[in-house]
Amino acid sequence: MEKTVHISTKNGPKVPGEPTKTGTSMVDTAASAVQSFAPINQIHQHLCAFHFYAYDMTRQVEAHHFCGHINEDMRQCLIYDGPDANARLIGLEYIVTEKLFMTLPDDEKKLWHTHEWEVKGGFLFMPGVPEAIQRQDLEKVAKTYGKVYHFWQVDKGHDLPIGLPNIMMAVTRDGQLYPEMIKETEKHFGVSMEKERESRAYMKGPDHGIHPLANGGGKGLKLEVREVDIKPVESVPRVFV
Amino acid sequence: MASSDKVPVACPASSGDGKEPMGNPTKTTTAMLDKGTAMMQSMKPIRQMSLHVCSFACYSHDPGRQIEVHIYGHRVNQDFLQCAVYDSNSSKAHLIGIEYIVSEKLFESLSPEEQKLWHSHDYEIQMALLVTPRVPELVAKPELKNLAKSYGKFWCTWQIDRGDKLPLGVPSLMVSPQDVNLGRIKPELVKKRDEEHGISTESLKPSRDGICGPEKKNLVADYWVRFRKGFALDVVETDMKRTAPFP
Repeated sequence: MEKTVHISTKNGPKVPGEPTKTGTSMVDTAASAVQSFAPINQIHQHLCAFHFYAYDMTRQVEAHHFCGHINEDMRQCLIYDGPDANARLIGLEYIVTEKLFMTLPDDEKKLWHTHEWEVKGGFLFMPGVPEAIQRQDLEKVAKTYGKVYHFWQVDKGHDLPIGLPNIMMAVTRDGQLYPEMIKETEKHFGVSMEKERESRAYMKGPDHGIHPLANGGGKGLKLEVREVDIKPVESVPRVFV
Repeated sequence: MASSDKVPVACPASSGDGKEPMGNPTKTTTAMLDKGTAMMQSMKPIRQMSLHVCSFACYSHDPGRQIEVHIYGHRVNQDFLQCAVYDSNSSKAHLIGIEYIVSEKLFESLSPEEQKLWHSHDYEIQMALLVTPRVPELVAKPELKNLAKSYGKFWCTWQIDRGDKLPLGVPSLMVSPQDVNLGRIKPELVKKRDEEHGISTESLKPSRDGICGPEKKNLVADYWVRFRKGFALDVVETDMKRTAPFP
Protein backbone atom coordinates (compact mmCIF):
# COMPACT_ATOMS: atom_id res chain seq x y z
CA MET A 1 0.00 0.00 0.00
CA GLU A 2 1.18 3.53 -0.77
CA LYS A 3 1.46 5.98 2.09
CA THR A 4 1.13 9.48 0.75
CA VAL A 5 0.01 12.88 1.88
CA HIS A 6 -3.12 14.60 0.62
CA ILE A 7 -2.49 17.81 -1.27
CA SER A 8 -5.36 20.20 -0.76
CA THR A 9 -6.63 21.93 -3.89
CA LYS A 10 -8.37 24.65 -1.89
CA ASN A 11 -5.91 27.32 -2.97
CA GLY A 12 -5.36 25.81 -6.37
CA PRO A 13 -4.02 27.66 -9.40
CA LYS A 14 -6.17 30.46 -10.78
CA VAL A 15 -7.44 30.05 -14.34
CA PRO A 16 -5.13 32.20 -16.47
CA GLY A 17 -6.62 35.09 -18.42
CA GLU A 18 -7.65 38.73 -18.40
CA PRO A 19 -10.68 39.84 -16.40
CA THR A 20 -13.83 39.81 -18.49
CA LYS A 21 -14.19 43.02 -20.51
CA THR A 22 -17.32 45.09 -20.00
CA GLY A 23 -18.31 44.67 -23.63
CA THR A 24 -18.37 40.91 -23.32
CA SER A 25 -19.96 40.70 -19.92
CA MET A 26 -22.76 43.12 -20.82
CA VAL A 27 -23.71 40.76 -23.58
CA ASP A 28 -23.75 37.91 -21.13
CA THR A 29 -26.01 39.81 -18.76
CA ALA A 30 -28.40 40.70 -21.57
CA ALA A 31 -28.29 37.10 -22.71
CA SER A 32 -29.12 35.52 -19.42
CA ALA A 33 -32.15 37.76 -19.01
CA VAL A 34 -33.86 36.50 -22.15
CA GLN A 35 -32.47 33.05 -22.81
CA SER A 36 -33.98 29.80 -21.69
CA PHE A 37 -31.83 27.90 -19.24
CA ALA A 38 -34.26 25.01 -18.85
CA PRO A 39 -31.61 22.26 -18.65
CA ILE A 40 -29.68 24.16 -15.97
CA ASN A 41 -32.90 24.96 -14.09
CA GLN A 42 -33.42 21.23 -13.59
CA ILE A 43 -30.40 21.17 -11.30
CA HIS A 44 -31.91 21.09 -7.83
CA GLN A 45 -29.37 19.49 -5.58
CA HIS A 46 -25.83 20.10 -4.36
CA LEU A 47 -23.95 17.07 -3.03
CA CYS A 48 -20.42 17.13 -1.65
CA ALA A 49 -18.35 13.94 -1.84
CA PHE A 50 -14.85 12.68 -2.66
CA HIS A 51 -13.50 11.02 -5.78
CA PHE A 52 -10.20 9.34 -6.52
CA TYR A 53 -8.65 8.38 -9.84
CA ALA A 54 -9.62 4.89 -11.01
CA TYR A 55 -5.94 3.96 -11.35
CA ASP A 56 -4.62 5.93 -8.38
CA MET A 57 -6.38 6.04 -5.03
CA THR A 58 -3.64 8.30 -3.65
CA ARG A 59 -4.98 11.19 -5.74
CA GLN A 60 -8.20 12.33 -4.08
CA VAL A 61 -10.38 15.38 -4.69
CA GLU A 62 -13.39 16.94 -3.03
CA ALA A 63 -16.15 16.84 -5.64
CA HIS A 64 -19.18 19.12 -5.59
CA HIS A 65 -22.04 17.61 -7.55
CA PHE A 66 -24.88 19.71 -8.89
CA CYS A 67 -27.58 17.24 -9.85
CA GLY A 68 -30.93 17.02 -11.53
CA HIS A 69 -33.30 14.12 -12.09
CA ILE A 70 -33.75 12.92 -15.65
CA ASN A 71 -36.38 10.59 -14.20
CA GLU A 72 -36.97 8.64 -10.99
CA ASP A 73 -34.17 6.19 -11.87
CA MET A 74 -31.51 8.51 -13.18
CA ARG A 75 -29.71 11.75 -12.30
CA GLN A 76 -27.13 13.76 -14.18
CA CYS A 77 -24.64 15.95 -12.35
CA LEU A 78 -22.08 18.64 -13.10
CA ILE A 79 -19.01 18.37 -10.90
CA TYR A 80 -17.08 21.36 -9.58
CA ASP A 81 -14.03 21.51 -7.33
CA GLY A 82 -15.76 23.80 -4.84
CA PRO A 83 -19.11 25.29 -3.82
CA ASP A 84 -18.37 28.91 -4.69
CA ALA A 85 -18.80 31.17 -7.71
CA ASN A 86 -15.15 30.71 -8.69
CA ALA A 87 -15.34 26.91 -8.68
CA ARG A 88 -13.91 25.07 -11.67
CA LEU A 89 -16.11 22.73 -13.71
CA ILE A 90 -14.03 19.57 -13.53
CA GLY A 91 -16.31 16.74 -14.56
CA LEU A 92 -19.70 15.10 -14.65
CA GLU A 93 -21.48 12.10 -13.15
CA TYR A 94 -24.46 9.98 -14.05
CA ILE A 95 -26.31 8.20 -11.24
CA VAL A 96 -28.65 5.25 -11.86
CA THR A 97 -30.73 2.93 -9.73
CA GLU A 98 -29.76 -0.73 -9.37
CA LYS A 99 -32.58 -1.57 -11.78
CA LEU A 100 -30.92 0.32 -14.63
CA PHE A 101 -27.39 -0.71 -13.65
CA MET A 102 -28.26 -4.40 -13.93
CA THR A 103 -29.20 -3.95 -17.61
CA LEU A 104 -25.67 -2.84 -18.51
CA PRO A 105 -23.23 -5.18 -20.29
CA ASP A 106 -20.44 -6.57 -18.07
CA ASP A 107 -17.72 -4.36 -19.54
CA GLU A 108 -19.84 -1.28 -18.98
CA LYS A 109 -20.53 -2.19 -15.33
CA LYS A 110 -16.81 -1.87 -14.57
CA LEU A 111 -16.91 1.85 -15.34
CA TRP A 112 -19.48 2.45 -12.60
CA HIS A 113 -19.00 2.68 -8.83
CA THR A 114 -21.22 2.07 -5.82
CA HIS A 115 -22.45 4.76 -3.44
CA GLU A 116 -23.29 2.58 -0.47
CA TRP A 117 -20.26 3.35 1.68
CA GLU A 118 -19.99 6.96 0.54
CA VAL A 119 -23.47 7.51 1.95
CA LYS A 120 -23.50 5.17 4.94
CA GLY A 121 -20.01 6.28 5.97
CA GLY A 122 -21.19 9.88 6.08
CA PHE A 123 -18.72 11.04 3.40
CA LEU A 124 -21.42 12.26 1.01
CA PHE A 125 -23.64 15.08 2.20
CA MET A 126 -25.84 17.96 1.04
CA PRO A 127 -24.38 21.27 2.26
CA GLY A 128 -26.96 23.52 3.88
CA VAL A 129 -29.65 20.86 4.32
CA PRO A 130 -30.60 19.53 7.78
CA GLU A 131 -29.42 15.96 8.20
CA ALA A 132 -32.87 14.50 8.73
CA ILE A 133 -34.05 15.91 5.42
CA GLN A 134 -30.87 14.87 3.62
CA ARG A 135 -31.43 11.30 4.69
CA GLN A 136 -34.78 11.13 2.88
CA ASP A 137 -32.93 11.35 -0.40
CA LEU A 138 -29.58 9.89 0.56
CA GLU A 139 -31.15 6.58 1.57
CA LYS A 140 -32.07 6.27 -2.12
CA VAL A 141 -28.60 7.35 -3.27
CA ALA A 142 -27.04 4.59 -1.12
CA LYS A 143 -28.60 2.03 -3.44
CA THR A 144 -27.41 3.63 -6.68
CA TYR A 145 -24.40 3.33 -8.98
CA GLY A 146 -22.49 6.24 -10.49
CA LYS A 147 -20.27 6.85 -13.52
CA VAL A 148 -17.86 9.76 -13.15
CA TYR A 149 -15.43 11.40 -15.52
CA HIS A 150 -13.12 14.23 -14.54
CA PHE A 151 -11.63 16.35 -17.32
CA TRP A 152 -9.46 18.72 -15.28
CA GLN A 153 -6.68 17.48 -13.01
CA VAL A 154 -6.82 20.27 -10.47
CA ASP A 155 -5.02 18.07 -7.96
CA LYS A 156 -1.97 18.18 -10.24
CA GLY A 157 -2.05 21.97 -10.22
CA HIS A 158 -3.14 22.22 -13.84
CA ASP A 159 -4.40 25.72 -14.49
CA LEU A 160 -6.20 24.57 -17.64
CA PRO A 161 -8.07 21.32 -18.42
CA ILE A 162 -5.32 19.56 -20.36
CA GLY A 163 -4.97 15.87 -21.12
CA LEU A 164 -7.44 13.04 -21.38
CA PRO A 165 -10.54 12.38 -19.30
CA ASN A 166 -10.15 10.24 -16.20
CA ILE A 167 -12.57 7.66 -14.86
CA MET A 168 -13.01 8.25 -11.13
CA MET A 169 -14.02 6.01 -8.28
CA ALA A 170 -15.47 6.58 -4.82
CA VAL A 171 -14.80 5.38 -1.29
CA THR A 172 -15.87 1.81 -0.58
CA ARG A 173 -14.37 1.22 2.88
CA ASP A 174 -12.67 3.03 5.76
CA GLY A 175 -8.98 3.72 5.46
CA GLN A 176 -9.11 4.83 1.82
CA LEU A 177 -9.66 8.57 2.28
CA TYR A 178 -7.09 10.93 3.78
CA PRO A 179 -8.16 11.92 7.32
CA GLU A 180 -6.77 15.45 6.86
CA MET A 181 -8.91 15.93 3.71
CA ILE A 182 -12.02 14.79 5.55
CA LYS A 183 -11.27 17.07 8.52
CA GLU A 184 -10.81 20.06 6.20
CA THR A 185 -14.20 19.42 4.60
CA GLU A 186 -15.95 18.84 7.92
CA LYS A 187 -14.55 22.11 9.27
CA HIS A 188 -15.50 24.06 6.17
CA PHE A 189 -19.09 22.86 6.11
CA GLY A 190 -19.66 22.46 9.83
CA VAL A 191 -20.50 18.76 9.60
CA SER A 192 -19.45 15.68 11.52
CA MET A 193 -19.25 12.61 9.32
CA GLU A 194 -18.73 10.30 12.26
CA LYS A 195 -21.89 11.54 13.93
CA GLU A 196 -23.90 11.33 10.72
CA ARG A 197 -22.67 7.79 10.15
CA GLU A 198 -24.56 6.66 13.26
CA SER A 199 -27.79 8.18 11.95
CA ARG A 200 -27.32 6.48 8.59
CA ALA A 201 -26.69 2.99 10.01
CA TYR A 202 -30.25 1.98 9.04
CA MET A 203 -29.64 2.60 5.34
CA LYS A 204 -29.16 -0.25 2.91
CA GLY A 205 -27.08 -0.59 -0.24
CA PRO A 206 -28.24 -2.20 -3.49
CA ASP A 207 -30.87 -4.93 -2.97
CA HIS A 208 -28.69 -7.50 -4.72
CA GLY A 209 -25.54 -6.41 -2.95
CA ILE A 210 -22.62 -4.58 -4.52
CA HIS A 211 -22.12 -6.03 -7.97
CA PRO A 212 -18.68 -7.66 -8.26
CA LEU A 213 -18.02 -6.03 -11.63
CA ALA A 214 -18.68 -2.49 -10.38
CA ASN A 215 -15.83 -0.35 -9.04
CA GLY A 216 -13.57 -1.36 -11.90
CA GLY A 217 -14.16 -5.02 -11.08
CA GLY A 218 -11.40 -4.51 -8.52
CA LYS A 219 -8.89 -3.38 -11.16
CA GLY A 220 -7.51 0.06 -11.88
CA LEU A 221 -8.85 1.71 -15.05
CA LYS A 222 -7.14 4.24 -17.27
CA LEU A 223 -8.10 5.93 -20.55
CA GLU A 224 -5.68 5.97 -23.46
CA VAL A 225 -5.93 7.77 -26.77
CA ARG A 226 -5.54 6.19 -30.18
CA GLU A 227 -5.41 7.83 -33.61
CA VAL A 228 -7.95 6.46 -36.07
CA ASP A 229 -8.17 6.82 -39.82
CA ILE A 230 -11.19 8.77 -40.86
CA LYS A 231 -13.18 6.88 -43.44
CA PRO A 232 -12.96 8.64 -46.77
CA VAL A 233 -16.16 9.83 -48.34
CA GLU A 234 -16.77 9.58 -52.04
CA SER A 235 -16.79 13.14 -53.20
CA VAL A 236 -18.14 12.21 -56.64
CA PRO A 237 -21.64 10.77 -56.57
CA ARG A 238 -21.95 7.36 -58.19
CA VAL A 239 -23.98 7.36 -61.30
CA PHE A 240 -26.17 4.40 -62.14
CA VAL A 241 -26.83 3.85 -65.79
CA MET B 1 -13.94 -2.51 -23.28
CA ALA B 2 -16.27 0.11 -24.63
CA SER B 3 -13.91 2.28 -26.74
CA SER B 4 -15.37 5.58 -27.88
CA ASP B 5 -15.30 4.52 -31.53
CA LYS B 6 -16.85 1.08 -31.06
CA VAL B 7 -20.51 0.10 -31.07
CA PRO B 8 -21.68 -0.96 -27.59
CA VAL B 9 -22.52 -4.57 -26.74
CA ALA B 10 -26.22 -5.29 -27.22
CA CYS B 11 -28.25 -4.47 -24.13
CA PRO B 12 -31.54 -2.70 -23.40
CA ALA B 13 -29.76 0.68 -23.36
CA SER B 14 -28.13 0.16 -26.76
CA SER B 15 -31.21 -0.92 -28.65
CA GLY B 16 -30.87 2.17 -30.78
CA ASP B 17 -34.43 3.29 -30.45
CA GLY B 18 -33.60 5.67 -27.63
CA LYS B 19 -36.03 8.51 -27.56
CA GLU B 20 -36.51 8.38 -23.81
CA PRO B 21 -33.83 7.33 -21.36
CA MET B 22 -34.68 4.21 -19.38
CA GLY B 23 -36.42 4.63 -16.04
CA ASN B 24 -39.71 5.63 -14.46
CA PRO B 25 -41.06 9.18 -14.50
CA THR B 26 -39.97 11.30 -11.56
CA LYS B 27 -42.31 10.87 -8.61
CA THR B 28 -44.07 13.93 -7.26
CA THR B 29 -42.58 13.25 -3.80
CA THR B 30 -39.08 13.23 -5.30
CA ALA B 31 -39.67 16.46 -7.17
CA MET B 32 -41.04 18.15 -4.06
CA LEU B 33 -38.13 17.00 -1.90
CA ASP B 34 -35.74 18.27 -4.58
CA LYS B 35 -37.38 21.67 -4.77
CA GLY B 36 -37.50 21.95 -0.99
CA THR B 37 -33.82 21.19 -0.48
CA ALA B 38 -32.80 23.38 -3.44
CA MET B 39 -34.17 26.38 -1.55
CA MET B 40 -31.71 25.69 1.27
CA GLN B 41 -28.67 25.42 -0.98
CA SER B 42 -26.80 28.19 -2.69
CA MET B 43 -25.93 26.58 -6.08
CA LYS B 44 -23.41 29.35 -6.76
CA PRO B 45 -21.35 27.62 -9.50
CA ILE B 46 -24.46 26.92 -11.54
CA ARG B 47 -25.65 30.53 -11.24
CA GLN B 48 -22.50 31.63 -13.08
CA MET B 49 -23.74 30.17 -16.34
CA SER B 50 -24.92 33.12 -18.34
CA LEU B 51 -24.61 32.17 -21.98
CA HIS B 52 -26.57 29.71 -24.11
CA VAL B 53 -25.46 28.95 -27.65
CA CYS B 54 -26.78 26.34 -30.05
CA SER B 55 -24.48 24.80 -32.62
CA PHE B 56 -23.34 21.51 -34.12
CA ALA B 57 -20.50 19.11 -33.34
CA CYS B 58 -19.03 16.03 -35.01
CA TYR B 59 -17.41 12.89 -33.61
CA SER B 60 -13.65 13.15 -34.09
CA HIS B 61 -13.36 9.47 -35.06
CA ASP B 62 -16.27 9.82 -37.54
CA PRO B 63 -17.02 13.43 -38.45
CA GLY B 64 -19.90 12.31 -40.66
CA ARG B 65 -21.81 11.71 -37.41
CA GLN B 66 -23.06 15.13 -36.48
CA ILE B 67 -25.17 16.35 -33.57
CA GLU B 68 -26.98 19.48 -32.52
CA VAL B 69 -25.62 20.82 -29.24
CA HIS B 70 -26.81 23.30 -26.66
CA ILE B 71 -23.97 24.82 -24.76
CA TYR B 72 -24.46 26.56 -21.42
CA GLY B 73 -21.36 28.52 -20.56
CA HIS B 74 -19.80 30.35 -17.66
CA ARG B 75 -17.37 33.00 -18.87
CA VAL B 76 -14.69 32.72 -16.17
CA ASN B 77 -12.61 35.55 -17.65
CA GLN B 78 -11.84 37.14 -21.02
CA ASP B 79 -9.85 34.07 -22.05
CA PHE B 80 -11.77 31.10 -20.67
CA LEU B 81 -15.24 29.58 -20.60
CA GLN B 82 -16.37 26.35 -18.97
CA CYS B 83 -19.54 24.87 -20.40
CA ALA B 84 -22.09 22.11 -19.90
CA VAL B 85 -23.33 20.58 -23.16
CA TYR B 86 -26.87 19.26 -23.63
CA ASP B 87 -28.72 17.72 -26.57
CA SER B 88 -31.57 20.23 -26.39
CA ASN B 89 -32.67 23.33 -24.50
CA SER B 90 -35.70 21.74 -22.89
CA SER B 91 -36.22 20.63 -19.31
CA LYS B 92 -35.83 17.06 -20.56
CA ALA B 93 -32.39 17.70 -22.04
CA HIS B 94 -29.66 15.11 -21.56
CA LEU B 95 -26.27 16.21 -20.27
CA ILE B 96 -24.03 14.89 -23.05
CA GLY B 97 -20.68 16.40 -22.20
CA ILE B 98 -18.46 19.29 -21.24
CA GLU B 99 -16.67 21.85 -23.41
CA TYR B 100 -13.90 24.19 -22.44
CA ILE B 101 -13.22 27.28 -24.57
CA VAL B 102 -9.95 29.24 -24.54
CA SER B 103 -8.75 32.40 -26.27
CA GLU B 104 -6.13 32.28 -28.97
CA LYS B 105 -3.60 33.57 -26.44
CA LEU B 106 -4.21 30.71 -23.99
CA PHE B 107 -4.40 28.17 -26.79
CA GLU B 108 -0.96 29.08 -28.10
CA SER B 109 0.46 28.35 -24.63
CA LEU B 110 -0.60 24.68 -24.89
CA SER B 111 1.73 21.94 -26.10
CA PRO B 112 1.21 20.62 -29.66
CA GLU B 113 0.16 17.25 -28.18
CA GLU B 114 -2.59 19.01 -26.30
CA GLN B 115 -3.55 21.31 -29.19
CA LYS B 116 -4.42 18.26 -31.32
CA LEU B 117 -7.44 17.67 -29.08
CA TRP B 118 -8.90 21.15 -29.68
CA HIS B 119 -11.02 22.64 -32.45
CA SER B 120 -11.55 26.13 -33.89
CA HIS B 121 -14.88 28.00 -33.87
CA ASP B 122 -14.59 30.51 -36.70
CA TYR B 123 -16.29 28.51 -39.46
CA GLU B 124 -19.40 27.64 -37.47
CA ILE B 125 -19.80 31.25 -36.38
CA GLN B 126 -19.21 32.71 -39.84
CA MET B 127 -21.76 30.29 -41.31
CA ALA B 128 -24.27 31.11 -38.54
CA LEU B 129 -24.35 27.43 -37.54
CA LEU B 130 -23.69 28.70 -34.05
CA VAL B 131 -26.56 30.85 -32.87
CA THR B 132 -27.53 32.62 -29.65
CA PRO B 133 -31.23 31.78 -29.21
CA ARG B 134 -33.43 34.74 -28.32
CA VAL B 135 -30.50 37.17 -28.25
CA PRO B 136 -30.49 39.60 -31.20
CA GLU B 137 -27.40 39.47 -33.42
CA LEU B 138 -26.47 43.04 -32.59
CA VAL B 139 -26.34 42.27 -28.88
CA ALA B 140 -24.55 38.96 -29.42
CA LYS B 141 -21.90 40.37 -31.78
CA PRO B 142 -19.14 41.19 -29.25
CA GLU B 143 -19.34 37.71 -27.77
CA LEU B 144 -19.49 36.10 -31.23
CA LYS B 145 -16.39 38.04 -32.29
CA ASN B 146 -14.62 36.77 -29.19
CA LEU B 147 -15.73 33.17 -29.70
CA ALA B 148 -14.75 33.21 -33.38
CA LYS B 149 -11.12 33.59 -32.35
CA SER B 150 -11.32 30.88 -29.68
CA TYR B 151 -10.61 27.15 -29.55
CA GLY B 152 -12.68 24.49 -27.83
CA LYS B 153 -12.22 21.03 -26.35
CA PHE B 154 -15.42 18.98 -26.13
CA TRP B 155 -15.74 15.51 -24.59
CA CYS B 156 -19.07 13.82 -25.30
CA THR B 157 -20.11 11.27 -22.67
CA TRP B 158 -23.50 10.14 -24.01
CA GLN B 159 -23.93 9.07 -27.64
CA ILE B 160 -27.61 9.94 -27.81
CA ASP B 161 -27.54 10.22 -31.59
CA ARG B 162 -26.94 6.49 -31.97
CA GLY B 163 -29.92 5.79 -29.74
CA ASP B 164 -28.17 5.03 -26.45
CA LYS B 165 -30.73 5.19 -23.64
CA LEU B 166 -28.01 5.33 -21.00
CA PRO B 167 -24.54 6.86 -21.24
CA LEU B 168 -22.51 3.87 -22.47
CA GLY B 169 -18.80 3.57 -23.08
CA VAL B 170 -16.08 6.13 -22.63
CA PRO B 171 -15.98 9.79 -23.69
CA SER B 172 -15.68 10.70 -27.35
CA LEU B 173 -13.59 13.63 -28.47
CA MET B 174 -15.70 15.92 -30.60
CA VAL B 175 -14.71 18.33 -33.37
CA SER B 176 -16.31 21.40 -34.86
CA PRO B 177 -17.96 21.98 -38.25
CA GLN B 178 -15.34 22.75 -40.87
CA ASP B 179 -15.37 23.82 -44.48
CA VAL B 180 -14.40 20.38 -45.80
CA ASN B 181 -16.32 17.36 -47.01
CA LEU B 182 -17.28 15.63 -43.76
CA GLY B 183 -17.22 18.84 -41.74
CA ARG B 184 -20.13 20.54 -43.45
CA ILE B 185 -23.28 20.08 -41.45
CA LYS B 186 -26.05 18.07 -43.15
CA PRO B 187 -28.79 20.42 -44.38
CA GLU B 188 -31.52 18.33 -42.75
CA LEU B 189 -29.90 18.82 -39.32
CA VAL B 190 -29.74 22.57 -39.81
CA LYS B 191 -33.32 22.65 -41.07
CA LYS B 192 -34.57 20.72 -38.04
CA ARG B 193 -32.71 23.06 -35.69
CA ASP B 194 -33.98 26.16 -37.47
CA GLU B 195 -37.58 24.98 -37.41
CA GLU B 196 -37.48 24.12 -33.72
CA HIS B 197 -36.08 27.51 -32.80
CA GLY B 198 -37.88 29.66 -35.32
CA ILE B 199 -34.70 30.94 -36.90
CA SER B 200 -33.08 30.91 -40.33
CA THR B 201 -29.38 30.11 -40.42
CA GLU B 202 -29.23 31.33 -44.01
CA SER B 203 -30.61 34.76 -43.22
CA LEU B 204 -28.32 35.16 -40.20
CA LYS B 205 -25.19 34.69 -42.30
CA PRO B 206 -24.92 38.27 -43.59
CA SER B 207 -24.79 39.60 -40.04
CA ARG B 208 -21.66 37.48 -39.51
CA ASP B 209 -19.75 39.30 -42.25
CA GLY B 210 -16.55 40.75 -40.93
CA ILE B 211 -16.28 38.30 -38.05
CA CYS B 212 -12.72 36.99 -38.23
CA GLY B 213 -11.08 33.84 -36.97
CA PRO B 214 -7.84 33.70 -34.98
CA GLU B 215 -5.08 36.18 -35.90
CA LYS B 216 -2.89 33.24 -36.86
CA LYS B 217 -4.80 30.02 -37.52
CA ASN B 218 -3.17 27.20 -35.61
CA LEU B 219 -2.19 24.27 -37.83
CA VAL B 220 -2.39 21.61 -35.11
CA ALA B 221 -5.97 22.32 -34.02
CA ASP B 222 -8.67 20.67 -36.15
CA TYR B 223 -6.09 17.90 -36.56
CA TRP B 224 -8.42 15.70 -38.59
CA VAL B 225 -8.80 18.24 -41.38
CA ARG B 226 -5.15 18.23 -42.25
CA PHE B 227 -4.19 14.68 -41.29
CA ARG B 228 -7.46 12.75 -41.83
CA LYS B 229 -7.07 11.17 -38.41
CA GLY B 230 -9.44 11.34 -35.48
CA PHE B 231 -8.96 10.31 -31.87
CA ALA B 232 -10.64 7.48 -30.00
CA LEU B 233 -10.33 6.58 -26.33
CA ASP B 234 -9.83 3.06 -24.97
CA VAL B 235 -10.12 1.81 -21.38
CA VAL B 236 -7.21 -0.25 -20.16
CA GLU B 237 -7.07 -2.28 -16.98
CA THR B 238 -4.08 -1.58 -14.82
CA ASP B 239 -2.94 -1.91 -11.25
CA MET B 240 -4.50 0.67 -8.98
CA LYS B 241 -2.12 2.58 -6.76
CA ARG B 242 -3.78 2.23 -3.34
CA THR B 243 -3.74 3.50 0.23
CA ALA B 244 -6.05 0.66 1.31
CA PRO B 245 -7.80 -2.38 -0.20
CA PHE B 246 -10.27 -1.63 -3.02
CA PRO B 247 -13.13 -2.19 -3.29
